Amino acid sequence: MAEARKSMIKIKPKKYKVGDTVKVDFIVIHPMDTGMQKDKKTGKIKPAHYIDNITFSFDGKPFTTMKVWESVSTNPYFSVKYKITGKGKITVDYTDNQGEKNSKSKKVKPKG
Amino acid sequence: MERRKFIQSMFAATAVAAIVTPTTIFAEEAKKAAKKGPNDMTFDEAVKAITEGKELKDSDKIKLTVPEIAENGAVVPVKVNVDYPMTEKESVTAIHILNTANGNARCADVMLTPANEEAYFATRVKLSKTQEVVALVALSDGTFIKAGKSVKVTIGGCG
Repeated sequence: MAEARKSMIKIKPKKYKVGDTVKVDFIVIHPMDTGMQKDKKTGKIKPAHYIDNITFSFDGKPFTTMKVWESVSTNPYFSVKYKITGKGKITVDYTDNQGEKNSKSKKVKPKG
Repeated sequence: MERRKFIQSMFAATAVAAIVTPTTIFAEEAKKAAKKGPNDMTFDEAVKAITEGKELKDSDKIKLTVPEIAENGAVVPVKVNVDYPMTEKESVTAIHILNTANGNARCADVMLTPANEEAYFATRVKLSKTQEVVALVALSDGTFIKAGKSVKVTIGGCG
């Protein structure tokens, strides 16, 4: 069953104002198994296990959605740009092909 | 057992064996062929699925940043910048990252909105061998543009 995955949202640069366009980076610790690798301990082929849907939203309004396949690296990193419109919360919801659902959010506090 | 019955049963057994053996071999081969990834797709199929047969042009508006030589194919950074306005009227609606030689040609589809302000996407992908990474960009007027760059991979990254 799904244990909470470690994930992180970074906003770059760290200091930003309303109207600035910032990079929103999302990193998650996930194996991203392709379904072709062998488990070194048991010698059996590991079933495919990868993130397939990601939604970036600001205060509940999605601004970027992604479909992802197994060709993305282990512990994936995704980066998009976003224009800051005010105070709020950026939330990233993600699901994987084995039905795990997780989400991570970060407060947006523009200065000035 | 009577001799006649015995011979008949022998014939039947060999006949069955003769029929069964080739089919089992074929079945094994089919299994081997099916031992690829769960959602394999060639590059051409992927392009067809995205563009649905619409025109696809090469464009220098897309700035695709990938390393020329990737020592480790398991982690290849890919960055896409599209020089195109992001307004309500005209915008980049999606960026698709594709590869030409992995089992599954599709890496990621990113649906963008005008709230993104700039058409930008960065990630890291796995590449099984030396091949091309292609960024396919869908524009709001229904046209598609693309840009590709080849990456030399010294150690493959698909297990």
